[in-house]
Amino acid sequence: MRRDLKYFLFVLPSIIYVLAFAFYPSARAVYLSFENSRGQFTLANYKELFFFNIYGTIENTVIVTVGALLIQLGLALGISSILVREFRGKKLVSTISIIPMGVATVVAAITFSFIFQTSGGYANSFLHLFGLNGVNWYSTTLSSLFIVMIADSWKNTPIMTLILLAGMYSIPRDLYFAASLDGAGPLRRFIHVTLPNLKKFIAIALIIRGVSEFNIFALPLILIGYTPPLLTTLTYSLYSTTTKNLASAGAVLILALISVLIFLNIKLGGKR
Amino acid sequence: MKAGKILTYVGATIFTLYFLVPLYLLFLIAFSPAKFTLEALYPSLILKQFTLNNLIYAFTQYDFISPFLKSFFVASLVGILAIVLGVPAGYGLSRLPSRLAYGIIVLLLITNMVPGLIVAIPISVEFIKLHLFDSIPGLALVQELVTLPLAVFILQGTFSAVPREIEYQAKMDGASTFSFLTDVLMPVALPGIVTAFLISWMFSWDEFTYAILLSPIHPTLPVEIYLNIERGNELAAVAFSLVFTIPVIVLTLILQKYLKGEYLAGGVKY
Repeated sequence: MRRDLKYFLFVLPSIIYVLAFAFYPSARAVYLSFENSRGQFTLANYKELFFFNIYGTIENTVIVTVGALLIQLGLALGISSILVREFRGKKLVSTISIIPMGVATVVAAITFSFIFQTSGGYANSFLHLFGLNGVNWYSTTLSSLFIVMIADSWKNTPIMTLILLAGMYSIPRDLYFAASLDGAGPLRRFIHVTLPNLKKFIAIALIIRGVSEFNIFALPLILIGYTPPLLTTLTYSLYSTTTKNLASAGAVLILALISVLIFLNIKLGGKR
Repeated sequence: MKAGKILTYVGATIFTLYFLVPLYLLFLIAFSPAKFTLEALYPSLILKQFTLNNLIYAFTQYDFISPFLKSFFVASLVGILAIVLGVPAGYGLSRLPSRLAYGIIVLLLITNMVPGLIVAIPISVEFIKLHLFDSIPGLALVQELVTLPLAVFILQGTFSAVPREIEYQAKMDGASTFSFLTDVLMPVALPGIVTAFLISWMFSWDEFTYAILLSPIHPTLPVEIYLNIERGNELAAVAFSLVFTIPVIVLTLILQKYLKGEYLAGGVKY
């Protein structure tokens, strides 16, 4: 018991650090969000958020989160089922597939801002090659959000791939062999062997990435600015133009919604 | 060739292109005259003319050095903090009973998920009072939140792999826990420690949310690139992006074998 205490003391600085720099500020933000500029209790900050179309903002954030997750999941499943096989050039392909992880979010964002422009841009150059007309990629809310999803998926698919690949390596090869003997083709093997065995890894990857997607900030700020708004870009604009109290209310809203994901993660983590 | 093999190669080619094309375009913009790229309605998809003028213009006309140094010092401090806090924590966790260790890891995991904005807004108020706003140590202290959990995971894993017998042996030879840690364990675990440092360095180098909220006046490089885009200095942003990105791509490739799904998924066991 005394031994445990000694080892606990080694961990203590890190615990104090996270309490001071994560938990205390979070509690402080909740407190600030219920305060007016004269330091009195109020609900006005939350009421004021409605003037900023808060429902639409939440909706946009959910659309981006779900959309980006689906694109990443699809791509990551494809890449990891290729990388789990043996073929010539595998090392090169796996090296290239990790590169976007090393590209800063800001750099990914400006690159995609050159690819998708309101008129012209590289995506339209590509369409032009085939004699098609240019598209204004930012003409609707949904298409603007779609640009954010695409840029985000490029940057973050590698992380999802790494998690899924770890899962795929854990599936015994014998299962595939047995399925082949029973006459299952590649597609049926994928549906009946790969997916069920990968369930837990997919769930964890989705939650980990889901939290980050929900907090997505630099990409939308650079690609679409403040319209259509996401919870993070709205909160940031409140931070730079209004009171700390109102901005805190926005931040608390993000925390409240993300708590659901944190809770799910701990639940799933407990069954490890 | 069998159909399966062909399918593998077709898929591998498509994905390779998908990952490389955006980077290719970034290089294209950096090394082509602007009339073929940013000023063209339909920019050329191939290199028509090679030039270094964009880079020369960007680095002579805009301040690159001070944001670069700021980023460099902040990232290095984040790396050092990750070691100072992470080595003892990783060691302690690898020796604590697993139920207690698991609880602490969950605590760290939650921290990693707390939205940046909710931490940064109250902290900006405190930092102004403490004169830490816009400073290198202030930003590093907050960015540590993003990387400490990952550093602790890596270090805990490394220390758990060191056989307990070595520790008993050292204790019998009269080593204190502290001298065992610095003279025996840390040298043995050096690759893990270096990895934890480099990964933390890399995360800070890329970090944007805390940087723009807590250090907006003397920005780090990612924020400076964003500001250049906002001001319409697109070529400067592209040039800075290249210099900014290359070291991180190199680091990513070096660290490839450590950037495993197991770590990123928070040590999922199967």
